[in-house]
Amino acid sequence: MASRRRMLLKVIILGDSGVGKTSLMNQYVSKKFSNQYKATIGADFLTKEIQFEDRLFTLQIWDTAGQERFQSLGVAFYRGADCCVLVYDVNVAKSFDNLNNWREEFLIQASPSDPENFPFVVLGNKIDIDGGNSRVVSEKKAKAWCASKGNIPYFETSAKEGFNVEAAFQCIAKNALKNEPEEEIYLPDTIDVAGGNRQQRSSTGCEC
Amino acid sequence: MNGVAKSPVDVLIKCPCTGMKHEYLSVATRLKAALMHFSFASDVQDDTSASWRKRRKHFFVLSHSGKPIYSRYGDEHKLAGFSATLQAIISFVENGGDRIKFVRAGRHQVVFLVKGPIYLVCISCTEEPYEALRGQLELLYGQILVILTKSIDRCFVKNPKFDMAPLLGGTDAVFSSLIHSFSWNPATFLHAYTCLPLAYSTRQAAGAILQDVADSGVLFAILMCRHKVVSLVGAQKASLHPDDMLLLSNFILSTESFRTSEAFSPICLPHYNSMAFLYAYVHYLDVDTYLALLSTNSEGFYHLKECRIQIESVLVKSNVLCEVQKSILDGGLHVEDLPVDSSLRSGLPYPHPGQGRAAPSSMSEIGGPAGLWHFIYRSINLDQYVSSEFSSPLNSSGLHKRLYRAYQKLYVSMHDRQIGPHKTQFRRDENYVLLCWITQDFELYAAFDPLADKALAIKTCNRVCQWVRDLENEIFLFGGSPFSW
Repeated sequence: MASRRRMLLKVIILGDSGVGKTSLMNQYVSKKFSNQYKATIGADFLTKEIQFEDRLFTLQIWDTAGQERFQSLGVAFYRGADCCVLVYDVNVAKSFDNLNNWREEFLIQASPSDPENFPFVVLGNKIDIDGGNSRVVSEKKAKAWCASKGNIPYFETSAKEGFNVEAAFQCIAKNALKNEPEEEIYLPDTIDVAGGNRQQRSSTGCEC
Repeated sequence: MNGVAKSPVDVLIKCPCTGMKHEYLSVATRLKAALMHFSFASDVQDDTSASWRKRRKHFFVLSHSGKPIYSRYGDEHKLAGFSATLQAIISFVENGGDRIKFVRAGRHQVVFLVKGPIYLVCISCTEEPYEALRGQLELLYGQILVILTKSIDRCFVKNPKFDMAPLLGGTDAVFSSLIHSFSWNPATFLHAYTCLPLAYSTRQAAGAILQDVADSGVLFAILMCRHKVVSLVGAQKASLHPDDMLLLSNFILSTESFRTSEAFSPICLPHYNSMAFLYAYVHYLDVDTYLALLSTNSEGFYHLKECRIQIESVLVKSNVLCEVQKSILDGGLHVEDLPVDSSLRSGLPYPHPGQGRAAPSSMSEIGGPAGLWHFIYRSINLDQYVSSEFSSPLNSSGLHKRLYRAYQKLYVSMHDRQIGPHKTQFRRDENYVLLCWITQDFELYAAFDPLADKALAIKTCNRVCQWVRDLENEIFLFGGSPFSW
């Protein structure tokens, strides 16, 4: 039997600037971390191949810039996403409060066919800082918000220490996949000559 | 390296498609960075990437969400980041209510073609003109339609996440063969087809039997030898566009399984009807010659098979297949055979394609008279062209490709929408003298020795035209052709 084609999943990472989106991605893709902050400009694109339930997938990860001035790029970036990852910094309350805006912005711009069930994953990042003493958003609070938005899966992560990053992305892949519609058989029309549709350059096709 | 980055991680952070904020100049810069980004990333991921970067001409197809559909070189999935970059650039410009046509970045030209939810991109450093590369992207898109029809757009409407690549599974050879033909097949820029030279009566015999089956409900009956037409017939009022013929024959010739058995395949002719399928019965009559019978009936296999058996027996009996083989061996028009003095034509036999050519009259002379090396004659009314065989000194595929690219450039400049169209062009450079002459009946493209005399070259072009007209019954398909309706 012919091997099934690998599937490609488009994953968008959103969140305020400085919450660690790029670091999470780098930790996940190349197992590297840098303390130095470099703002992402526009978006970065990374790919990672993963295996899941005996099938190979390619994650196409769109790491977007958190700064507001890049928001206008939204439509160009969000179209056709399979999963959206919302990231906040557990040490910065505002970044958590903004999750709601990010989610809504995404749903407006990407306008997925079934917004209620569109797969999101929330990551609370930087749990390593100060041994957790500077944390201002509790796990309970975060989980409550996730629950209120249709049970969004939630992970606490440390991009620096690589904690929970792999697990979070496994879940991201799983959710992206779950949402994949059943593959339909591709069946275009056949030309109907008798129906007077034989004219050249007919762009309407037949309605049979 | 333009200060982009030293380590892959750096590259990831800095990379592309950022600012294109106000001017396209920055798009070029970003794209350059993107190209570089890709190279770095793939150095880490993929050991073939060094060779990938050296490729002179890339073709990419992607969806409007940035999912890769096709890449000429490399694995589409490994290029997912790169196709995301391309999508971001295209969509960004689109969101501004504008459209990106091309970007120049150093020696590279990046040409974009947006066809609804399908984006096509060519990145090339071959110095082919924009219009030529764009035409090639149009054909690439047409080839996708041949396989899937334009109904594919509906899948994207229903589901923007739609991953189209799997639907094209197993068709890589079709696309790579088409892309290869951009550098050897003049049909790709002339938008005309070419016939195998045959005696008039032979082609008539083939046409008659094809006409019989066309009358029995076959939409198109096409008999071809490699990429040359032996005969073709269409049902009443059905006409076949030369580009559709090119895409159809490319599809057949590059799909190995057609060679091993009689096949029945859904197929779309984009210029005939881009939304729907026809059904093609394809059968090779010998190693080079194949018959394609197109029907609108998805259950027409057995009928078409009957037709084929009937056609095949007539072709064998009337010796058409032997004549076809003979013509392949003899080749087409040779510039050396160009009649020397047209005033002697009347009453005297002039050389026919491939017929008993004498040895070159003088050893010092290379090519045809007056330094004529090669020509292409395109009949405008017939949508057909005839091209001379390559001979010395054009005796390597590299030289052929270079000449075709020169013709292609000539074609583009002659058909320039802004300052054209033009009637004649004479151009001399270190490689050739190129002469182009367009009238309402034909287009002639001729290449001469770079030292050729201008007046003599023009005179020779006149003789070429006369020669082609004298031979037209053998090198072109007349009557019964759907084009005459």
